[in-house]
Amino acid sequence: MRREDKIVAEIRERLKEKIITVEVPRERRIFAYIKLEALKESIKFLKDMGFKHLSTITGVDMEDGIELIYHLALDGSIELSLRLKVQKDDPRVPTITDIIPGAVLYEREVHDMFGVNFEGHPDLSPLILPEKWPRNIYPLRKKYALERLRNLIFKEEDIE
Amino acid sequence: MSYGSTIKVPFGPQHPALKEPEHFLFKIDGDIIVNVKPRIGYNHRGIEKAFERRTYIQNIYLAERICGICSDAHTTCYVQAIEDLLGVEAPPRARYIRVIVAELERIHSHSLWLGIAAHEIGFDTLFMHLWRDREAVMDILELISGNRVHYAMNTIGGVRRDIVSETIPKVIGSLDFLEKRTKYYMKVLRSEPTVLKRTVDIGVLKPEDAVELCAVGPTLRASGVKNDVRRDDPYAAYDEIPFNIVTDDGCDVFSRILVRCGEILESINMIRYALDHMPSGMLRVRVPMVVKPGEAVSRVEAPRGELIHYVKSNGSTRPERYKVRSPTLANIPALCKMLIGQHVADIPIILAGIDPCFACMDRLVFVDVKTNKKKALDFESFRKIVRKRHELL
Amino acid sequence: MRLETFKPSHSSIKRETSKFLVKADEQPMNLLKWARIKSPWILHFNTGGCNGCDIELLAAFTPRFDVERFGILLQGSPRHADILAVTGPVTLQVRERLVRIYEQMPEPKYVLAVGSCACSGAPFKDCYNVVGGVDKVLPVDVYVPGCPPKPEAIIDGIVKLIQKIEGEEAYEKGR
Repeated sequence: MRREDKIVAEIRERLKEKIITVEVPRERRIFAYIKLEALKESIKFLKDMGFKHLSTITGVDMEDGIELIYHLALDGSIELSLRLKVQKDDPRVPTITDIIPGAVLYEREVHDMFGVNFEGHPDLSPLILPEKWPRNIYPLRKKYALERLRNLIFKEEDIE
Repeated sequence: MSYGSTIKVPFGPQHPALKEPEHFLFKIDGDIIVNVKPRIGYNHRGIEKAFERRTYIQNIYLAERICGICSDAHTTCYVQAIEDLLGVEAPPRARYIRVIVAELERIHSHSLWLGIAAHEIGFDTLFMHLWRDREAVMDILELISGNRVHYAMNTIGGVRRDIVSETIPKVIGSLDFLEKRTKYYMKVLRSEPTVLKRTVDIGVLKPEDAVELCAVGPTLRASGVKNDVRRDDPYAAYDEIPFNIVTDDGCDVFSRILVRCGEILESINMIRYALDHMPSGMLRVRVPMVVKPGEAVSRVEAPRGELIHYVKSNGSTRPERYKVRSPTLANIPALCKMLIGQHVADIPIILAGIDPCFACMDRLVFVDVKTNKKKALDFESFRKIVRKRHELL
Repeated sequence: MRLETFKPSHSSIKRETSKFLVKADEQPMNLLKWARIKSPWILHFNTGGCNGCDIELLAAFTPRFDVERFGILLQGSPRHADILAVTGPVTLQVRERLVRIYEQMPEPKYVLAVGSCACSGAPFKDCYNVVGGVDKVLPVDVYVPGCPPKPEAIIDGIVKLIQKIEGEEAYEKGR
């Protein structure tokens, strides 16, 4: 039995109905889709399993919500992508900085780019976007096409 | 000793010699750093959005321009992600060429960093020597790829250029030279009091903190954690090439210097082995323009640590979402941890210690919170203060 | 110091500088201006580039290329610099800082745009956080294209800029 299959079996056993899908597309890669409320619980037990390293958090703008993907690594080797979906207007998700302190900048980045609120995060001030960036414009959301975004930003700036 | 009032020290964003503008706000008590607040994003160009607008082929060139120092790591990571989506694999010779270029890049990046570190501790002679010898590896890269910085070697399904047999003796010759010089520098660094005084026990990052804060690369390895994507999650031909993971238990800036020196030597051996054992055959396989819907995570050990790309395709010629996380971002929480409790004078070398893709520390403005008086210092006068302090020690 | 008594020790400098020094029918050249042409000090600022140009610009100052032997010096503070060498496309956040740094430099000041991004914005031209090339913000004197330009090209750009300063000199004299 491969290591990946063992891990998948363990995740299934622990999360049961909170899990939506788990797949192993190739060796050392696992994609797990979980329900929003199971986030903290699963991060906690994954950390106990050895997934101590959080590589990054990716946000993806889908049609029916924003997907957050937590990329966790087991001893630097197996990369588990833990995926969950939050609603588009007023997206909220609990912070995981109390479990994995290294997540602090990744959550701020996702907050900047997608406007996801990480409840309980110590400081969600802008990290990447300029100070004068208009509020409520999140550049990586699909509704802001590049031209529209440039028009919105540079209209105020009177450039071009 | 506490002076009762904390002072805020903004750091950056302009700086004299190198790299990108960044900004750090330090809260200091007397001479001791109490708190650090990083503010990145001066270099934010919106590349992830630009990825969604371009075709997969055009994106190779964009990925290359994420970073000028680890450009090959970024393209390798990008093409691997796309190859993963397409279900193709680069031919064996191409995978060996990828390793060779990646390791050459590591040598170039580490010797560049060693020079910068020497500069930050006021050892400019070593800086100049290191950069002179670095030109040897730049010459090899130019010989192989035709360019000194953006090599444009990778393409989806393989590599674009071959390493022809005539160039191999030249490469080997340069490697011998580099090995000799690196060994000499290691001797110098180990015995030179200037270096030891400024780096030993400075910027300590304990192993448990390093793991907790998700540090990557040489920063993590200098804290004694044996972690390397090349071994743990092998890509290209790394599973066929023997190498050691260099670690050090010192956990300070000096350990980071030693780890990087050790990695240069290790890379030289890896290139020698790869050149010897390079299989013959095709350089690339043909791939379709359209990528079927799916997603992939690709990881590469860049000179600065674990680099991760995530791609989601939607069945067209352009990606739906592309995510890049560079190693420097991963190391910033660890950097903030290292800085707390240290002297203001050691900020430059600790900042440089993680080999950031920014090292901005030109002008400091000291703001006294009580009187709201501002005192501007340029980097040179700051360095004079620093040197004075160390003369007194 | 009287200009006539100013004698550079190095023979090649002597030969070159003679045209700026005493000529019977001309006003002697201002020492400051002479020094500016002979030893321009460069301030390097990255406005959001990928580092490629930065390492090449720095390489121009290290032993292989070593422009310091010509008196061209990399300077840390904007208040001491004559030439602002800008690398990278100008991002929104860095724009104000770039202007502030330019304003801190003493007159006369010159801008050298190093690399394709600084010239026009290149691949980042239509990104949402990028204003464009340096010329959208500051007046540029010399453009050095290339991605990244080799150190030789950067040196050539600096030489062209020096020629431009010399040309201004000649123009002012002619007036």
